[in-house]
Amino acid sequence: MMKTFDLRVKQLLDGDLSLADLPPELRAEGEEALRLIAAVDRAPVTLTPALDTRVMTAVRQHAKSPARRAWRWLAAPREVELRLRVRPWAVWGGALAAAAALALLLSRPPAPAPSAFHNVAFVRFVLYAPGASRVAVAGTFNQWDQAAAPLVPAGTAGVWTTTLALPVGQHQYAFVVDGRRWIADPAAPAVDDGFGRRNSVVAVTTQGARTL
Amino acid sequence: MESRDAVTDGEIVRGVLAGDVELYAVLVERYRDRFARYAVRMLGSHDAAEDALQDALVRAFDRLADCREPDKFAGWLFLILRNRCFAEQRRHQREGRLSEDAAEAVAAPERSDGAVERHEQARELELALGQLTAEQREAFVLKHVAGMPYEEIAQLTGATVASLKMRMHRAYDRLRELMKEYR
Repeated sequence: MMKTFDLRVKQLLDGDLSLADLPPELRAEGEEALRLIAAVDRAPVTLTPALDTRVMTAVRQHAKSPARRAWRWLAAPREVELRLRVRPWAVWGGALAAAAALALLLSRPPAPAPSAFHNVAFVRFVLYAPGASRVAVAGTFNQWDQAAAPLVPAGTAGVWTTTLALPVGQHQYAFVVDGRRWIADPAAPAVDDGFGRRNSVVAVTTQGARTL
Repeated sequence: MESRDAVTDGEIVRGVLAGDVELYAVLVERYRDRFARYAVRMLGSHDAAEDALQDALVRAFDRLADCREPDKFAGWLFLILRNRCFAEQRRHQREGRLSEDAAEAVAAPERSDGAVERHEQARELELALGQLTAEQREAFVLKHVAGMPYEEIAQLTGATVASLKMRMHRAYDRLRELMKEYR
């Protein structure tokens, strides 16, 4: 049968008690336990300098991959400067044409409001988080920016909600409670993000959004 | 001129994401040795630890855009390395392979009887650590090798202090049993 350490000896190993705190009958067991821990090799570990070279070689190769470059090109924000050189009569002419087009539009019977634009659908996010002082939703659609999409308290106590216009496609997201706690949406399926945390998944189509 | 050490992890991550790939070398240099001891003690071998660290660092680069909080890059990288070490250790245990390299991971003894005995004890303990579950071994390594308090381990691993203590107490009992078997 396995002989276990007394709880007080375990507390000694945890640093919560000292050897002097143990009753005399436990001293020998305490000393045995301390000998076990004393055998730990705490020598510093040095890895070969070649590790840095190998990592950076792999990193440079990966950075050159066409898919990664294409994604970076698409995702990188750019400043666009637009310069116009116009004559005053053209400005007035343009304004008149725009006013005429607007009047024409307003005179037509109203069409039913579409629930989704061509490539965008409105998705409502809801989280029940009683006691939270702020809640946000962060995901692939806003570069995981915690400040981009705050939720507001709904009528029912503890319920937070927001509606976002999301492009068609599959998105991963999570709620951020009080700026530090990341939690998956309990109402949606979740996938492992590869690092031990869970991301929720929503698929947006022109017909609306659905959880996968 | 601004020192490389003065640059925060968040600034580096944002710089790399903006296209300055060479900046990533600062993060590699900053974290390779800091996490080396954890990897060696978790895997019981310098070679396996180097492979795991290399893999984790390259994987972190590939998924850098998923790093939600760039200023907490160290914790994020640790989770990647941790997952890699757990997977490796489980693979070893599934294949029934004990850490035969465990002795290699223990520092070589000096030339004295006491030192040789200490080295032998350290080697036995290293072998015993290889028999623990990945979670138990990690708790032991972080507490008794890295010298971290339970609260810090909890923050790093996401476990509660109570569950960490329970894990550790089971590890103490198992180690006691194994060390007796080796003698």
